[in-house]
Amino acid sequence: MIKSVVSKEYQDLQKKIVQLQEQWKQQLNPEIIRPNLDKAAMEAGVPAAALTAIDFEISLFQQWIEEISAILINSNPELEPKLSGIESLLNEEIAIRWIEEAFAFNHVYFASFAACHGLEGWIPQFLAETALRPYLQLTAEKVQHEIHHSNPGAGCPVCGEPVRLATLKEEGKKVIHCPRCLAHWHAKRLECSHCGNEDHKTIQFLTIEGDAVSQIQVCGTCHGYIKIIDTRQYISQPSAALLDLNSIHLDFVAQENGYHVIGEKKETN
Amino acid sequence: MAKEYVKYVDVTKCDGCRACMVACKNWNDLPAEPTEFLGSVQSHAKTTADTWNVLQYIEHENGKGDLDYLFRHSSCFHCSDAACEKVCPENAISYTKYGTVVIDQDKCVGCGYCVQNCPFEVISLKTYKDKNGKEYRKSHKCTMCTDRIEEGLQPACVTTCHTGAMEFGDKDAMIQKAEQRVKEIKDRYPNAMVYNPQGVGGTHTVYVLAEKPSVYGLPENPKVPTSAVLWKDYAQPIGKAMIGATTMAVVGAFVANKFFSKKAGNDAEDGGGSHE
Repeated sequence: MIKSVVSKEYQDLQKKIVQLQEQWKQQLNPEIIRPNLDKAAMEAGVPAAALTAIDFEISLFQQWIEEISAILINSNPELEPKLSGIESLLNEEIAIRWIEEAFAFNHVYFASFAACHGLEGWIPQFLAETALRPYLQLTAEKVQHEIHHSNPGAGCPVCGEPVRLATLKEEGKKVIHCPRCLAHWHAKRLECSHCGNEDHKTIQFLTIEGDAVSQIQVCGTCHGYIKIIDTRQYISQPSAALLDLNSIHLDFVAQENGYHVIGEKKETN
Repeated sequence: MAKEYVKYVDVTKCDGCRACMVACKNWNDLPAEPTEFLGSVQSHAKTTADTWNVLQYIEHENGKGDLDYLFRHSSCFHCSDAACEKVCPENAISYTKYGTVVIDQDKCVGCGYCVQNCPFEVISLKTYKDKNGKEYRKSHKCTMCTDRIEEGLQPACVTTCHTGAMEFGDKDAMIQKAEQRVKEIKDRYPNAMVYNPQGVGGTHTVYVLAEKPSVYGLPENPKVPTSAVLWKDYAQPIGKAMIGATTMAVVGAFVANKFFSKKAGNDAEDGGGSHE
Protein backbone atom coordinates (compact mmCIF):
# COMPACT_ATOMS: atom_id res chain seq x y z
CA MET A 1 0.00 0.00 0.00
CA ILE A 2 1.13 3.50 -0.76
CA LYS A 3 2.56 5.20 2.29
CA SER A 4 0.40 7.93 3.71
CA VAL A 5 0.20 10.05 6.82
CA VAL A 6 -3.51 9.22 6.94
CA SER A 7 -4.42 6.33 9.24
CA LYS A 8 -5.39 3.02 7.69
CA GLU A 9 -8.84 3.18 9.33
CA TYR A 10 -9.64 6.58 7.87
CA GLN A 11 -8.36 5.54 4.45
CA ASP A 12 -10.61 2.47 4.56
CA LEU A 13 -13.59 4.61 5.55
CA GLN A 14 -12.95 7.01 2.67
CA LYS A 15 -12.49 4.10 0.26
CA LYS A 16 -15.91 2.78 1.29
CA ILE A 17 -17.47 6.20 0.79
CA VAL A 18 -15.89 6.59 -2.65
CA GLN A 19 -17.17 3.13 -3.61
CA LEU A 20 -20.65 4.00 -2.40
CA GLN A 21 -20.64 7.26 -4.36
CA GLU A 22 -19.67 5.31 -7.48
CA GLN A 23 -22.55 2.88 -6.89
CA TRP A 24 -25.02 5.73 -6.34
CA LYS A 25 -23.84 7.44 -9.50
CA GLN A 26 -24.44 4.22 -11.44
CA GLN A 27 -28.02 4.13 -10.13
CA LEU A 28 -28.78 7.62 -11.45
CA ASN A 29 -30.35 8.04 -14.83
CA PRO A 30 -28.01 10.25 -16.93
CA GLU A 31 -31.10 11.94 -18.40
CA ILE A 32 -31.66 13.86 -15.16
CA ILE A 33 -28.57 15.94 -15.97
CA ARG A 34 -29.37 18.52 -18.62
CA PRO A 35 -26.33 20.71 -19.31
CA ASN A 36 -26.95 24.02 -20.99
CA LEU A 37 -23.37 25.08 -21.54
CA ASP A 38 -22.98 28.65 -22.56
CA LYS A 39 -19.58 29.20 -24.17
CA ALA A 40 -19.28 32.82 -23.06
CA ALA A 41 -20.22 32.01 -19.46
CA MET A 42 -17.80 29.07 -19.39
CA GLU A 43 -15.03 31.30 -20.74
CA ALA A 44 -15.80 33.76 -17.96
CA GLY A 45 -15.27 30.98 -15.44
CA VAL A 46 -18.84 30.00 -14.55
CA PRO A 47 -18.78 26.33 -13.48
CA ALA A 48 -20.65 23.97 -15.81
CA ALA A 49 -22.69 22.60 -12.91
CA ALA A 50 -24.18 26.08 -12.42
CA LEU A 51 -25.30 26.01 -16.05
CA THR A 52 -26.87 22.59 -15.72
CA ALA A 53 -30.37 21.64 -14.69
CA ILE A 54 -30.32 18.62 -12.39
CA ASP A 55 -33.48 16.79 -11.29
CA PHE A 56 -32.64 15.78 -7.74
CA GLU A 57 -34.60 12.96 -6.19
CA ILE A 58 -35.10 14.07 -2.63
CA SER A 59 -36.02 10.66 -1.18
CA LEU A 60 -32.85 9.19 -2.71
CA PHE A 61 -30.77 11.99 -1.19
CA GLN A 62 -32.32 11.28 2.23
CA GLN A 63 -31.66 7.57 1.81
CA TRP A 64 -28.00 8.21 0.92
CA ILE A 65 -27.54 10.35 4.01
CA GLU A 66 -28.87 7.43 6.08
CA GLU A 67 -26.41 5.10 4.38
CA ILE A 68 -23.47 7.42 5.06
CA SER A 69 -24.51 7.69 8.71
CA ALA A 70 -24.58 3.89 8.89
CA ILE A 71 -21.06 3.64 7.45
CA LEU A 72 -19.75 6.28 9.84
CA ILE A 73 -21.31 4.55 12.85
CA ASN A 74 -20.02 1.21 11.63
CA SER A 75 -16.46 2.53 11.53
CA ASN A 76 -16.77 4.43 14.80
CA PRO A 77 -19.64 3.36 17.11
CA GLU A 78 -19.05 6.45 19.29
CA LEU A 79 -20.65 8.54 16.55
CA GLU A 80 -24.04 6.87 17.01
CA PRO A 81 -25.52 9.34 19.54
CA LYS A 82 -24.22 12.26 17.45
CA LEU A 83 -25.74 11.05 14.19
CA SER A 84 -28.95 9.41 15.41
CA GLY A 85 -31.15 12.52 15.29
CA ILE A 86 -30.29 13.50 11.72
CA GLU A 87 -32.87 11.39 9.90
CA SER A 88 -35.79 12.92 11.80
CA LEU A 89 -34.45 16.43 11.13
CA LEU A 90 -34.04 15.86 7.44
CA ASN A 91 -37.54 16.42 6.06
CA GLU A 92 -38.07 17.21 2.41
CA GLU A 93 -37.76 20.96 2.86
CA ILE A 94 -34.47 20.70 4.75
CA ALA A 95 -33.12 18.16 2.24
CA ILE A 96 -33.77 20.56 -0.65
CA ARG A 97 -32.07 23.34 1.28
CA TRP A 98 -29.09 21.05 2.02
CA ILE A 99 -28.69 20.22 -1.65
CA GLU A 100 -28.77 23.90 -2.60
CA GLU A 101 -26.36 24.97 0.09
CA ALA A 102 -23.96 22.04 -0.47
CA PHE A 103 -24.02 22.93 -4.16
CA ALA A 104 -22.99 26.47 -3.28
CA PHE A 105 -20.53 25.19 -0.62
CA ASN A 106 -22.20 27.48 1.89
CA HIS A 107 -20.32 26.51 5.03
CA VAL A 108 -21.85 29.42 6.94
CA TYR A 109 -25.34 27.94 6.52
CA PHE A 110 -24.20 24.50 7.64
CA ALA A 111 -22.35 25.89 10.65
CA SER A 112 -25.46 27.76 11.78
CA PHE A 113 -27.63 24.71 11.08
CA ALA A 114 -25.35 22.61 13.29
CA ALA A 115 -25.44 25.23 16.04
CA CYS A 116 -29.26 25.50 15.88
CA HIS A 117 -29.78 21.77 16.23
CA GLY A 118 -26.98 21.02 18.68
CA LEU A 119 -24.95 18.97 16.21
CA GLU A 120 -21.20 18.82 15.90
CA GLY A 121 -20.03 21.41 13.38
CA TRP A 122 -18.71 19.02 10.74
CA ILE A 123 -21.75 16.75 10.53
CA PRO A 124 -24.34 18.55 8.35
CA GLN A 125 -21.94 19.72 5.64
CA PHE A 126 -20.04 16.43 5.54
CA LEU A 127 -23.26 14.46 5.01
CA ALA A 128 -24.73 16.90 2.49
CA GLU A 129 -21.50 17.18 0.51
CA THR A 130 -20.94 13.40 0.43
CA ALA A 131 -24.48 12.79 -0.83
CA LEU A 132 -24.28 15.59 -3.39
CA ARG A 133 -21.10 14.39 -5.05
CA PRO A 134 -22.63 11.57 -7.14
CA TYR A 135 -24.70 14.25 -8.92
CA LEU A 136 -21.65 16.45 -9.47
CA GLN A 137 -19.65 13.46 -10.66
CA LEU A 138 -22.37 12.45 -13.11
CA THR A 139 -22.47 16.04 -14.38
CA ALA A 140 -18.69 16.02 -14.83
CA GLU A 141 -18.90 12.74 -16.71
CA LYS A 142 -21.55 14.14 -19.00
CA VAL A 143 -19.72 17.37 -19.84
CA GLN A 144 -16.17 15.99 -19.72
CA HIS A 145 -15.79 16.15 -23.51
CA GLU A 146 -16.34 19.92 -23.33
CA ILE A 147 -13.77 20.50 -20.60
CA HIS A 148 -10.36 21.30 -22.05
CA HIS A 149 -8.93 23.86 -19.71
CA SER A 150 -9.80 25.99 -16.73
CA ASN A 151 -9.55 29.71 -16.31
CA PRO A 152 -6.83 30.78 -13.89
CA GLY A 153 -8.36 31.35 -10.49
CA ALA A 154 -11.82 30.07 -11.47
CA GLY A 155 -11.27 26.60 -10.01
CA CYS A 156 -12.82 23.46 -11.43
CA PRO A 157 -14.70 24.26 -14.65
CA VAL A 158 -17.43 21.80 -13.61
CA CYS A 159 -18.06 22.36 -9.91
CA GLY A 160 -15.94 25.39 -9.00
CA GLU A 161 -13.78 23.63 -6.41
CA PRO A 162 -10.39 25.36 -6.08
CA VAL A 163 -7.64 23.63 -8.05
CA ARG A 164 -5.22 21.74 -5.85
CA LEU A 165 -4.31 18.39 -7.41
CA ALA A 166 -2.61 17.40 -10.66
CA THR A 167 -1.09 14.19 -11.96
CA LEU A 168 1.57 13.57 -14.57
CA LYS A 169 0.52 11.33 -17.42
CA GLU A 170 2.16 9.95 -20.56
CA GLU A 171 4.91 12.13 -22.01
CA GLY A 172 4.84 14.18 -18.84
CA LYS A 173 1.52 15.88 -19.54
CA LYS A 174 0.06 17.65 -16.54
CA VAL A 175 -3.55 16.76 -15.91
CA ILE A 176 -5.51 18.62 -13.24
CA HIS A 177 -8.05 16.57 -11.33
CA CYS A 178 -10.94 17.80 -9.28
CA PRO A 179 -11.18 15.58 -6.20
CA ARG A 180 -14.80 16.72 -5.72
CA CYS A 181 -16.46 15.98 -9.08
CA LEU A 182 -13.60 13.96 -10.65
CA ALA A 183 -13.46 16.16 -13.77
CA HIS A 184 -10.00 16.46 -15.34
CA TRP A 185 -8.31 18.69 -17.86
CA HIS A 186 -4.88 19.46 -19.25
CA ALA A 187 -2.71 22.33 -18.09
CA LYS A 188 0.67 23.69 -19.07
CA ARG A 189 3.54 22.30 -17.02
CA LEU A 190 4.80 25.78 -16.20
CA GLU A 191 1.61 27.61 -15.38
CA CYS A 192 0.05 28.63 -12.10
CA SER A 193 -3.56 27.43 -12.04
CA HIS A 194 -4.50 30.19 -9.62
CA CYS A 195 -3.19 33.32 -11.34
CA GLY A 196 -2.09 32.16 -14.79
CA ASN A 197 1.54 33.09 -14.13
CA GLU A 198 3.80 31.46 -16.73
CA ASP A 199 7.09 33.01 -15.67
CA HIS A 200 9.45 30.12 -14.96
CA LYS A 201 11.52 32.28 -12.63
CA THR A 202 8.68 32.68 -10.15
CA ILE A 203 7.28 29.15 -10.32
CA GLN A 204 9.06 26.77 -7.99
CA PHE A 205 8.72 23.18 -6.92
CA LEU A 206 8.95 21.88 -3.37
CA THR A 207 9.78 18.21 -2.97
CA ILE A 208 9.78 15.91 0.02
CA GLU A 209 12.93 13.94 0.67
CA GLY A 210 12.29 10.24 0.11
CA ASP A 211 9.01 10.86 -1.72
CA ALA A 212 9.74 9.92 -5.32
CA VAL A 213 6.37 10.76 -6.80
CA SER A 214 5.15 14.05 -5.37
CA GLN A 215 5.99 17.69 -5.78
CA ILE A 216 4.31 20.93 -4.79
CA GLN A 217 4.20 23.62 -7.45
CA VAL A 218 4.24 27.03 -5.81
CA CYS A 219 3.78 30.41 -7.42
CA GLY A 220 5.84 33.37 -6.26
CA THR A 221 3.32 35.81 -7.69
CA CYS A 222 0.07 34.75 -6.01
CA HIS A 223 1.49 32.40 -3.35
CA GLY A 224 -0.88 29.67 -4.41
CA TYR A 225 0.12 26.01 -4.65
CA ILE A 226 -0.98 22.78 -6.24
CA LYS A 227 0.12 19.23 -5.56
CA ILE A 228 1.53 17.28 -8.51
CA ILE A 229 1.70 13.50 -8.26
CA ASP A 230 3.56 11.43 -10.83
CA THR A 231 0.99 8.64 -11.09
CA ARG A 232 2.83 7.13 -14.06
CA GLN A 233 4.90 5.35 -11.40
CA TYR A 234 1.86 3.79 -9.71
CA ILE A 235 0.98 0.17 -10.35
CA SER A 236 -2.74 0.95 -10.22
CA GLN A 237 -4.34 4.36 -10.63
CA PRO A 238 -6.18 5.55 -7.51
CA SER A 239 -9.28 7.76 -7.64
CA ALA A 240 -8.56 11.50 -7.50
CA ALA A 241 -10.47 11.76 -4.21
CA LEU A 242 -8.22 9.17 -2.53
CA LEU A 243 -5.10 10.63 -4.13
CA ASP A 244 -6.01 14.01 -2.67
CA LEU A 245 -6.52 12.47 0.77
CA ASN A 246 -3.33 10.40 0.77
CA SER A 247 -1.21 13.38 -0.26
CA ILE A 248 -2.50 15.60 2.55
CA HIS A 249 1.03 15.89 3.96
CA LEU A 250 1.86 18.03 0.92
CA ASP A 251 -0.91 20.48 1.90
CA PHE A 252 0.64 20.80 5.34
CA VAL A 253 4.11 21.39 3.91
CA ALA A 254 2.84 23.96 1.41
CA GLN A 255 0.77 25.85 3.96
CA GLU A 256 3.54 25.80 6.56
CA ASN A 257 5.75 27.40 3.92
CA GLY A 258 3.30 30.24 3.47
CA TYR A 259 1.42 29.12 0.37
CA HIS A 260 -2.35 29.09 0.00
CA VAL A 261 -5.03 26.88 -1.50
CA ILE A 262 -6.35 29.89 -3.37
CA GLY A 263 -3.85 32.33 -4.85
CA GLU A 264 -4.02 35.95 -3.78
CA LYS A 265 -2.95 38.41 -6.36
CA LYS A 266 -1.28 41.32 -4.63
CA GLU A 267 -2.39 44.64 -6.03
CA THR A 268 0.46 46.87 -7.01
CA ASN A 269 -0.46 50.48 -7.52
CA MET B 1 -0.80 -14.23 -1.38
CA ALA B 2 -0.75 -10.74 -2.73
CA LYS B 3 -1.05 -10.12 -6.42
CA GLU B 4 1.75 -11.60 -8.52
CA TYR B 5 3.29 -9.04 -10.80
CA VAL B 6 5.27 -9.43 -13.99
CA LYS B 7 7.70 -7.08 -15.69
CA TYR B 8 6.92 -7.18 -19.40
CA VAL B 9 9.84 -6.36 -21.71
CA ASP B 10 9.20 -5.94 -25.41
CA VAL B 11 12.70 -5.81 -26.88
CA THR B 12 11.34 -4.77 -30.28
CA LYS B 13 10.24 -1.44 -28.84
CA CYS B 14 13.54 -0.75 -27.07
CA ASP B 15 15.73 1.92 -28.66
CA GLY B 16 18.77 1.21 -26.49
CA CYS B 17 18.75 4.53 -24.62
CA ARG B 18 19.96 2.92 -21.37
CA ALA B 19 17.70 5.07 -19.20
CA CYS B 20 16.70 1.84 -17.40
CA MET B 21 20.32 1.35 -16.34
CA VAL B 22 20.54 4.89 -15.04
CA ALA B 23 17.19 4.71 -13.22
CA CYS B 24 18.29 1.47 -11.54
CA LYS B 25 21.61 2.93 -10.38
CA ASN B 26 19.79 6.01 -9.16
CA TRP B 27 17.01 4.31 -7.20
CA ASN B 28 19.22 1.57 -5.71
CA ASP B 29 22.10 3.93 -5.01
CA LEU B 30 24.62 1.79 -6.89
CA PRO B 31 28.09 3.18 -7.62
CA ALA B 32 29.36 3.74 -11.15
CA GLU B 33 31.59 1.04 -12.55
CA PRO B 34 34.16 2.19 -15.08
CA THR B 35 34.66 -0.45 -17.77
CA GLU B 36 36.97 -1.09 -20.70
CA PHE B 37 35.81 -0.58 -24.27
CA LEU B 38 34.16 -3.84 -25.32
CA GLY B 39 34.25 -3.27 -29.06
CA SER B 40 30.60 -2.18 -29.17
CA VAL B 41 28.37 0.41 -27.61
CA GLN B 42 27.53 -2.03 -24.80
CA SER B 43 28.85 -0.74 -21.49
CA HIS B 44 29.20 -3.89 -19.36
CA ALA B 45 29.64 -7.48 -20.56
CA LYS B 46 26.90 -8.66 -18.16
CA THR B 47 25.16 -7.71 -14.95
CA THR B 48 27.41 -7.28 -11.92
CA ALA B 49 26.99 -6.75 -8.19
CA ASP B 50 26.85 -2.98 -8.76
CA THR B 51 25.09 -2.97 -12.14
CA TRP B 52 21.83 -4.84 -11.80
CA ASN B 53 20.65 -4.33 -15.32
CA VAL B 54 22.65 -4.07 -18.51
CA LEU B 55 21.49 -3.18 -21.98
CA GLN B 56 22.69 -5.75 -24.49
CA TYR B 57 23.53 -4.64 -28.04
CA ILE B 58 23.63 -7.47 -30.52
CA GLU B 59 24.53 -7.32 -34.21
CA HIS B 60 22.64 -10.21 -35.73
CA GLU B 61 22.56 -11.39 -39.30
CA ASN B 62 19.01 -12.46 -39.94
CA GLY B 63 17.98 -15.19 -42.37
CA LYS B 64 17.63 -12.77 -45.28
CA GLY B 65 21.24 -11.67 -45.13
CA ASP B 66 20.38 -8.33 -43.48
CA LEU B 67 21.91 -7.07 -40.32
CA ASP B 68 19.59 -6.51 -37.34
CA TYR B 69 20.69 -4.38 -34.44
CA LEU B 70 18.99 -5.95 -31.43
CA PHE B 71 18.69 -4.53 -27.93
CA ARG B 72 17.73 -6.27 -24.71
CA HIS B 73 17.27 -4.98 -21.19
CA SER B 74 18.85 -7.79 -19.18
CA SER B 75 18.38 -8.25 -15.45
CA CYS B 76 17.16 -10.84 -12.96
CA PHE B 77 14.26 -12.96 -14.27
CA HIS B 78 12.76 -13.60 -10.83
CA CYS B 79 12.08 -17.28 -11.61
CA SER B 80 9.08 -18.94 -9.99
CA ASP B 81 11.36 -21.90 -9.27
CA ALA B 82 14.61 -20.11 -8.62
CA ALA B 83 17.87 -22.06 -8.58
CA CYS B 84 19.53 -19.40 -6.42
CA GLU B 85 16.86 -19.80 -3.75
CA LYS B 86 17.24 -23.58 -3.89
CA VAL B 87 20.99 -23.69 -3.43
CA CYS B 88 21.37 -21.00 -0.77
CA PRO B 89 22.63 -22.84 2.34
CA GLU B 90 21.71 -19.93 4.64
CA ASN B 91 18.17 -19.38 3.33
CA ALA B 92 19.25 -15.83 2.55
CA ILE B 93 17.35 -15.87 -0.76
CA SER B 94 13.58 -15.95 -0.64
CA TYR B 95 10.42 -15.23 -2.61
CA THR B 96 8.30 -12.22 -1.74
CA LYS B 97 4.51 -12.22 -1.88
CA TYR B 98 4.73 -10.39 -5.21
CA GLY B 99 6.69 -13.25 -6.83
CA THR B 100 10.02 -11.42 -6.77
CA VAL B 101 13.20 -13.10 -5.53
CA VAL B 102 15.28 -11.16 -3.02
CA ILE B 103 18.52 -11.62 -1.08
CA ASP B 104 18.69 -10.93 2.65
CA GLN B 105 22.09 -9.24 2.93
CA ASP B 106 22.31 -9.94 6.67
CA LYS B 107 22.02 -13.68 6.13
CA CYS B 108 24.23 -13.93 3.02
CA VAL B 109 27.66 -15.43 3.77
CA GLY B 110 29.05 -14.92 0.27
CA CYS B 111 29.50 -18.62 -0.53
CA GLY B 112 28.71 -18.00 -4.20
CA TYR B 113 26.49 -21.07 -4.78
CA CYS B 114 23.77 -18.82 -6.18
CA VAL B 115 26.24 -17.25 -8.61
CA GLN B 116 27.27 -20.68 -9.89
CA ASN B 117 23.74 -22.00 -10.23
CA CYS B 118 21.81 -19.09 -11.75
CA PRO B 119 20.83 -20.26 -15.27
CA PHE B 120 20.91 -16.64 -16.48
CA GLU B 121 24.15 -15.57 -14.76
CA VAL B 122 22.61 -12.46 -13.19
CA ILE B 123 23.85 -12.77 -9.59
CA SER B 124 27.34 -11.57 -8.66
CA LEU B 125 29.44 -11.34 -5.55
CA LYS B 126 30.89 -8.13 -4.25
CA THR B 127 33.93 -8.08 -1.98
CA TYR B 128 33.92 -5.76 1.04
CA LYS B 129 36.49 -5.10 3.75
CA ASP B 130 35.50 -4.87 7.40
CA LYS B 131 37.19 -2.48 9.82
CA ASN B 132 39.95 -4.97 10.58
CA GLY B 133 40.80 -5.21 6.89
CA LYS B 134 39.31 -8.70 6.63
CA GLU B 135 37.58 -9.40 3.33
CA TYR B 136 34.04 -10.74 3.10
CA ARG B 137 31.60 -11.15 0.23
CA LYS B 138 27.90 -10.62 -0.38
CA SER B 139 25.86 -11.50 -3.42
CA HIS B 140 23.75 -8.90 -5.21
CA LYS B 141 21.20 -8.72 -7.99
CA CYS B 142 18.12 -6.88 -9.16
CA THR B 143 15.31 -6.85 -6.57
CA MET B 144 12.64 -5.83 -9.10
CA CYS B 145 12.48 -2.76 -6.84
CA THR B 146 10.51 -4.73 -4.26
CA ASP B 147 10.81 -1.70 -1.98
CA ARG B 148 8.91 0.33 -4.58
CA ILE B 149 6.30 -2.39 -5.20
CA GLU B 150 5.55 -2.39 -1.47
CA GLU B 151 4.60 1.27 -1.82
CA GLY B 152 2.42 0.68 -4.86
CA LEU B 153 5.03 1.93 -7.30
CA GLN B 154 6.39 0.28 -10.44
CA PRO B 155 10.08 -0.68 -10.68
CA ALA B 156 12.35 2.27 -11.48
CA CYS B 157 13.44 0.89 -14.86
CA VAL B 158 9.83 0.49 -16.02
CA THR B 159 8.89 3.96 -14.86
CA THR B 160 11.65 5.58 -16.84
CA CYS B 161 11.25 3.67 -20.13
CA HIS B 162 10.20 6.26 -22.69
CA THR B 163 9.36 3.93 -25.61
CA GLY B 164 6.94 1.79 -23.65
CA ALA B 165 9.19 -1.24 -24.12
CA MET B 166 8.63 -2.13 -20.48
CA GLU B 167 5.42 -2.42 -18.56
CA PHE B 168 4.56 -3.70 -15.14
CA GLY B 169 1.33 -5.27 -14.02
CA ASP B 170 -0.80 -8.26 -13.23
CA LYS B 171 0.93 -11.51 -14.24
CA ASP B 172 -1.82 -12.91 -16.48
CA ALA B 173 -2.47 -9.60 -18.22
CA MET B 174 1.23 -9.15 -19.01
CA ILE B 175 1.63 -12.68 -20.40
CA GLN B 176 -1.45 -12.15 -22.56
CA LYS B 177 -0.01 -8.87 -23.78
CA ALA B 178 3.25 -10.59 -24.70
CA GLU B 179 1.44 -13.26 -26.69
CA GLN B 180 -0.57 -10.63 -28.51
CA ARG B 181 2.56 -8.62 -29.33
CA VAL B 182 4.34 -11.67 -30.78
CA LYS B 183 1.42 -12.13 -33.20
CA GLU B 184 1.78 -8.50 -34.29
CA ILE B 185 5.49 -8.69 -35.04
CA LYS B 186 5.66 -12.13 -36.70
CA ASP B 187 5.91 -10.54 -40.17
CA ARG B 188 8.87 -8.43 -39.21
CA TYR B 189 10.52 -11.02 -36.96
CA PRO B 190 9.51 -14.58 -37.95
CA ASN B 191 11.43 -16.05 -35.00
CA ALA B 192 9.73 -13.78 -32.46
CA MET B 193 8.61 -15.51 -29.28
CA VAL B 194 7.51 -15.05 -25.70
CA TYR B 195 10.35 -15.98 -23.34
CA ASN B 196 8.81 -17.23 -20.12
CA PRO B 197 10.77 -20.49 -19.64
CA GLN B 198 8.81 -23.23 -17.91
CA GLY B 199 11.96 -25.13 -16.91
CA VAL B 200 12.25 -22.67 -14.01
CA GLY B 201 8.48 -22.56 -13.40
CA GLY B 202 7.99 -19.43 -15.51
CA THR B 203 9.59 -16.10 -14.70
CA HIS B 204 8.44 -12.74 -13.37
CA THR B 205 10.24 -10.91 -16.16
CA VAL B 206 8.57 -11.95 -19.39
CA TYR B 207 10.22 -11.04 -22.67
CA VAL B 208 8.97 -10.57 -26.17
CA LEU B 209 12.13 -11.58 -28.06
CA ALA B 210 12.67 -10.73 -31.73
CA GLU B 211 14.91 -13.73 -32.28
CA LYS B 212 15.63 -17.10 -30.70
CA PRO B 213 16.88 -16.89 -27.11
CA SER B 214 20.36 -18.12 -28.13
CA VAL B 215 20.83 -14.97 -30.25
CA TYR B 216 20.62 -13.00 -26.99
CA GLY B 217 22.90 -15.44 -25.22
CA LEU B 218 19.97 -16.86 -23.26
CA PRO B 219 19.50 -20.59 -22.61
CA GLU B 220 16.80 -22.08 -24.88
CA ASN B 221 15.41 -24.17 -22.07
CA PRO B 222 16.87 -23.15 -18.70
CA LYS B 223 16.44 -25.54 -15.80
CA VAL B 224 17.13 -25.56 -12.12
CA PRO B 225 20.42 -27.57 -12.11
CA THR B 226 19.95 -31.21 -11.08
CA SER B 227 22.74 -30.80 -8.53
CA ALA B 228 20.74 -27.96 -6.94
CA VAL B 229 17.62 -30.12 -6.71
CA LEU B 230 19.68 -33.00 -5.30
CA TRP B 231 21.28 -30.65 -2.81
CA LYS B 232 18.18 -28.90 -1.57
CA ASP B 233 15.54 -31.62 -1.83
CA TYR B 234 17.62 -34.66 -0.86
CA ALA B 235 21.08 -33.94 0.52
CA GLN B 236 20.02 -31.18 2.92
CA PRO B 237 17.04 -32.99 4.50
CA ILE B 238 19.12 -36.17 4.80
CA GLY B 239 21.95 -34.10 6.20
CA LYS B 240 19.63 -32.61 8.79
CA ALA B 241 18.37 -36.08 9.68
CA MET B 242 21.97 -37.18 9.97
CA ILE B 243 22.67 -34.32 12.34
CA GLY B 244 19.85 -35.70 14.47
CA ALA B 245 21.32 -39.18 14.37
CA THR B 246 24.79 -37.89 15.15
CA THR B 247 23.47 -35.86 18.06
CA MET B 248 21.72 -38.90 19.46
CA ALA B 249 24.91 -40.92 19.12
CA VAL B 250 26.94 -38.23 20.90
CA VAL B 251 24.41 -37.96 23.72
CA GLY B 252 24.25 -41.74 24.00
CA ALA B 253 28.01 -41.99 24.06
CA PHE B 254 28.22 -39.28 26.73
CA VAL B 255 25.75 -41.06 28.98
CA ALA B 256 27.42 -44.40 28.40
CA ASN B 257 30.88 -42.89 29.00
CA LYS B 258 29.78 -41.25 32.21
CA PHE B 259 28.49 -44.56 33.48
CA PHE B 260 31.54 -46.43 32.25
CA SER B 261 34.06 -43.92 33.63
CA LYS B 262 32.36 -43.99 37.03
CA LYS B 263 32.77 -47.73 37.02
CA ALA B 264 36.35 -47.34 35.93
CA GLY B 265 36.88 -44.82 38.75
CA ASN B 266 35.55 -47.30 41.27
CA ASP B 267 37.84 -49.87 39.83
CA ALA B 268 40.72 -47.50 40.29
CA GLU B 269 39.71 -46.90 43.90
CA ASP B 270 39.43 -50.56 44.41
CA GLY B 271 42.74 -50.98 42.73
CA GLY B 272 44.22 -48.33 45.01
CA GLY B 273 42.81 -50.19 47.99
CA SER B 274 44.29 -53.44 46.91
CA HIS B 275 47.73 -51.95 46.86
CA GLU B 276 47.54 -51.15 50.51
